Amino acid sequence: MIDSQVKKTRKFNSFEKYNGALNESNYHLMPFRFHRLNKNKEIIVNEVGDFLIIPNGTFQKIVNRQISKISDQELYGDLIANFFISETPVHPLIDVLATRYRNKKIFLNRFTDLHIFVISLRCEHTCHYCQVSRVTQNKDLYDMSIANIDKGIDIMFRSPNDHVTMEFQGGEALLAFDNIVYAVEKAEKIANKKNKSLTKVICTNLALITEEILIYCKEHEILISTSLDGPKHIHDSNRTKPHASSYDLTIEGINKSRDILGKDHVSALMTTTRLSLDFPIEIVDEYIKMGFNGIFLRNISPYGFALRGNKSKYETDHFINFYKTALEYIIQKNLEGLNFVEDLARIFLIKILTPFNIGYVDLQSPSGLINGVIVFNYDGAVYATDESRMLAEQKDFTFKLGTLDDSYEDLFFGEKAQEIAQIWANESLNGCSECAFQQYCGADPVHNLATQGDMYGFRPTSDFCQKNMEIIRYLIDRMDSDPKVKEIFENWVSNFNG
Amino acid sequence: MDLKNEIKDGQIAVFLDSRIYSKAGISKCLYWYSDKFNISINIIGNHFKIELKPNMENQKLELEIILEKLVKDFLDFNLRQIVTSETQNVRDLLIAKAFSNGEFDDPPLGEISDPVGFKF
Repeated sequence: MIDSQVKKTRKFNSFEKYNGALNESNYHLMPFRFHRLNKNKEIIVNEVGDFLIIPNGTFQKIVNRQISKISDQELYGDLIANFFISETPVHPLIDVLATRYRNKKIFLNRFTDLHIFVISLRCEHTCHYCQVSRVTQNKDLYDMSIANIDKGIDIMFRSPNDHVTMEFQGGEALLAFDNIVYAVEKAEKIANKKNKSLTKVICTNLALITEEILIYCKEHEILISTSLDGPKHIHDSNRTKPHASSYDLTIEGINKSRDILGKDHVSALMTTTRLSLDFPIEIVDEYIKMGFNGIFLRNISPYGFALRGNKSKYETDHFINFYKTALEYIIQKNLEGLNFVEDLARIFLIKILTPFNIGYVDLQSPSGLINGVIVFNYDGAVYATDESRMLAEQKDFTFKLGTLDDSYEDLFFGEKAQEIAQIWANESLNGCSECAFQQYCGADPVHNLATQGDMYGFRPTSDFCQKNMEIIRYLIDRMDSDPKVKEIFENWVSNFNG
Repeated sequence: MDLKNEIKDGQIAVFLDSRIYSKAGISKCLYWYSDKFNISINIIGNHFKIELKPNMENQKLELEIILEKLVKDFLDFNLRQIVTSETQNVRDLLIAKAFSNGEFDDPPLGEISDPVGFKF
């Protein structure tokens, strides 16, 4: 009896058993979106970011039920496997798709990670694009008080996230190093007690870095983040320091920091200005020369001093051209054997090529503000993001959530937060709701308010939309047209596991 | 009445059959033109009549090229709207399942059995 049972279950069934009735084109559509990739191809993207690149006209055929299970077998199979169509009204693997969707939005479950402490507004630089109203005197007025540091730390540890990041910004954060020491030691004790992991970062121009400070940072595993805008003539033009070269001080500071902390504990960010736009290759070369593993090509934020004067105003098209030139140069370097990453591309590629999301607050939906980041200002005010603090410097307090005297619930779930929550998901915004790149992009109500006058935003004139759409389209187009580029991009994301 | 798309007096006029094109698809398409044009939509019999007039006097717009693109965009947005309408319920179900705690999950398909045939 056992033999016959074994024979029966080990028989290979026919193809038809698994393929169902070979009916032509009686499939059901699943939710997905469409975009014209280039002159010859279209792209369709499903709810979790899986995509298919198809010849022009295929989207129309899919919708009109003109894809044949028999004569278009490969395409039909791809459409089924990637949840674009289903042979039943509800796809049999919808629970799998739902799990993947949940994974893409898992950052909501984790909640706020990054807590920015504006430890001092004092600064000894005068960077023309500075998004902060800098002051140079009066420590008592412009440094964060001990009482406010205590309150900020208390709120930080109310976050349900198992991991929190404490980032010290300014002004120039090192001007209030004593307060940083106090904050770090207090936070470490609480993190141990609550069994939370704690990352500490100091954002600094490195002009004031000393061996003593660096030894302290090493003992307490504090990361250093600095600014490097490119070669000397660009950096010094952007970041003016009276009677000294900011570039020389930055390079000296980076080297000193690496000697004591190690290379991996020192990172740099560049800011693109009008001057920068003419030197994409030189800027990339500077980062390669300094031994960094990558560069983040950011455009200038439309806040603070950056908005004042022509030095920092430029068209989005000009930035996109700058970006593509720099990216192609980086790709060429990778083809020559150098593993060097462009970080903005990497963020998009993680969303495009992996099942994960990445905690970059400017490209999340629902938006990363409050969900991913919160800012405690030196004066006790609490803001939704770093950029909204900068808007406040221009007397716009739309994104001020309250003060450190308010309760956690009032700050994170109060009236202001609820008002912002109405418009912080791109799934519900005009223009974004139909966009094929929705899952790769995000919503930025602060940017909308700063550039267009309201939180909701207007996509046809949005530089955020224009820039992101074109970069995403370009990345996908490059991968499709060159397998070597696809391999490079896959390498950039291969070690990311959520 | 002649229902042919045309450019007249610096203005674009497009006619779309309301039995084929949906209001939602048309609106979503015109959203992307509303930065450069003042737009009016009227219904004439079974057709939408859509008129686009440049909203700034000194704009240099090549209306022939825009009309060509606009007609293609209406098609694209109409198709998108078909997908949105047909898949609305499935999408709602997907998101409900994603944000649930398993209360909307279905049991695994098929029979649960010992395929090798051993009995304990």
